[in-house]
Amino acid sequence: MKIFLLVLLLVVPPAALYAQSGYIEVTAPGNRQLKLAVVPPRSLDVPVNSESAKLVSDVIAYDMNMSGVVIAENRSQLPFAKDISLADVDFAPWQSAGFDLLVRGEYSLKDERLTVEFRLFDVINRKLITAKRYLGAAKDLRRFSHSFADEIMRAMTGEKGVFTTKIAYVSTKTGNKEIYVMDWDGHNPLPLTKNGSINLNPDFSPDGREIIFTSYKRGNPDLYRRSLSNTAEVPLSSRKGLNFTGSWSPDGNKIALALSKDGDAEIYTLDKDGTHPTRLTINPALDFYPSWSPDGKQIVFVSDRLGKPQIFVMNAGGGEVRRLTTAGNYNVNPRWSPKGDRIAYSRMTNGGFNIFTIAPDGTSDTQLTFDGSNENPSWSADGRFICFSSKRGSGAGVYVMRTDGSGQTKVSQGKGMYFQPVWSVH
Amino acid sequence: MKKSLVTLLAGISMAALLSGGCANKESVKKEEAVVPAVSTAKVEPAKPVEQAKPVEQAKPVEEVKPAQEDAKIAAKTSAAEIKFETVYFDFDKSDLRQDARDVLTKNAENILKSMAAAKIKIEGHCDERGSAEYNMALGERRAASAQKYLTTLGVKAENLSIISYGKEKPAVNGSDEAAWAKNRRAEFVVVK
Repeated sequence: MKIFLLVLLLVVPPAALYAQSGYIEVTAPGNRQLKLAVVPPRSLDVPVNSESAKLVSDVIAYDMNMSGVVIAENRSQLPFAKDISLADVDFAPWQSAGFDLLVRGEYSLKDERLTVEFRLFDVINRKLITAKRYLGAAKDLRRFSHSFADEIMRAMTGEKGVFTTKIAYVSTKTGNKEIYVMDWDGHNPLPLTKNGSINLNPDFSPDGREIIFTSYKRGNPDLYRRSLSNTAEVPLSSRKGLNFTGSWSPDGNKIALALSKDGDAEIYTLDKDGTHPTRLTINPALDFYPSWSPDGKQIVFVSDRLGKPQIFVMNAGGGEVRRLTTAGNYNVNPRWSPKGDRIAYSRMTNGGFNIFTIAPDGTSDTQLTFDGSNENPSWSADGRFICFSSKRGSGAGVYVMRTDGSGQTKVSQGKGMYFQPVWSVH
Repeated sequence: MKKSLVTLLAGISMAALLSGGCANKESVKKEEAVVPAVSTAKVEPAKPVEQAKPVEQAKPVEEVKPAQEDAKIAAKTSAAEIKFETVYFDFDKSDLRQDARDVLTKNAENILKSMAAAKIKIEGHCDERGSAEYNMALGERRAASAQKYLTTLGVKAENLSIISYGKEKPAVNGSDEAAWAKNRRAEFVVVK
């Protein structure tokens, strides 16, 4: 056993690579991944109402499995465990079952009033890592479960998870391209636009409360802004020609987009109220799809100035344009990662598209998808996931994967076509 | 003679709309198109389009309707009304082929003959291949090259406006070359 402990100190599991000092409380021996048992929370109601318990543990286990940080299992209380209270855990059976971490909880659901308490335990060191208590309505159950998964991520990696964030996307569910928003795991899809026109390219404000998008609702493809909670759609840019591929700056003060008022699509920045256009590209080619570096100092964009669409980087004030992608003859949809270390994009391959990531200096170009056609990648705020639209044998929709290409999972739930997903920051 | 020509053209364009366009345009060499299209570009730069802006804003809601629907309604209400022929493009190209310039010449004649003051919107479209965003910009290029050519033929630039729908409004569904060829196009709509 002593040798084992030595080994686990020397061999750092994948989870620890993301760690900030003091956060990883437990490590697994060798290279195996940590195992997390998620026990359905115990109902405190009389009579006992355990209907929602499995939903809770399913949500947490799903989130944590997608994270890639642990292997999570939805496990009923072990029959031989003699737990009395939430705090009093019989760790031995969990340890012999091979688990390193344990989530337990209690909840009460009375007259639509919901109370949930979660605890994360370190099975090996037999101690509580973190606990959270939530008060809300019945409909908050999924959100609270996601929120505790966020907390598990914070405890394990030093950075909060993204499981309470949202993905906005375009769907043809009604026959028209309208913009929707859903939870990151595809639940609770909600229509945002309902104008019967063509609505495209949503992008979230940094606070996650608003989106910008392009709509033909008044004839011309204009840029609009609206909040998630209010239906008013405010025109931001109605300049002649295209007002499209809007991208909110990381500080929320500016919007980069492509305008064609000069005759061909050029990259501009606007103040967030749509005023003070600043032209960044001056080129007879098509320049569009800007995306900001997280420090706001650079912009990556698409240009066909060399013939076919390729990805370029320039200063956020314009100038110092350099070509980023050199492989492939059709590269589009660039999105800078929130950590700044990678740029995701899609490349046309055999008529379809695949998602790649590349370092901002043009090195380590890496293909992540190989199945079907995959477009419009967008990063989660922690840089751990990429969402994208996919048409593939296993179904068309919005997919999520880890940024190494593993764990590709369809998250959108309805049938139909899905386009241009974008991940919220909060 | 002129009247019968108009009727004939109307008939042809109607048939073209119904059938989804001419069939043999792929055989025309695109190289031929490049030289005149470039030379005409010198005659009239794209600038004047800006003056068409008020027109665009006047009744924008109607343009949201699919073009085919408009065509059907128009065909029912008045068979004699002039319909414009659609211009088709090569894959990933916005320069005008010989057949495209022939069509634009006919369209220009129609405009000058019987509706010189009409406001006309040129809608650029693309086939489903390639990214939606790139096609949005490409569709605009197509509309712009049709617009440019019409102005060289004497149509007043201030009466022409352009809009791109990218690949958002295909004329026909389908994922083969026949469908793609019909979707790479510029359509002409009279703005009321």
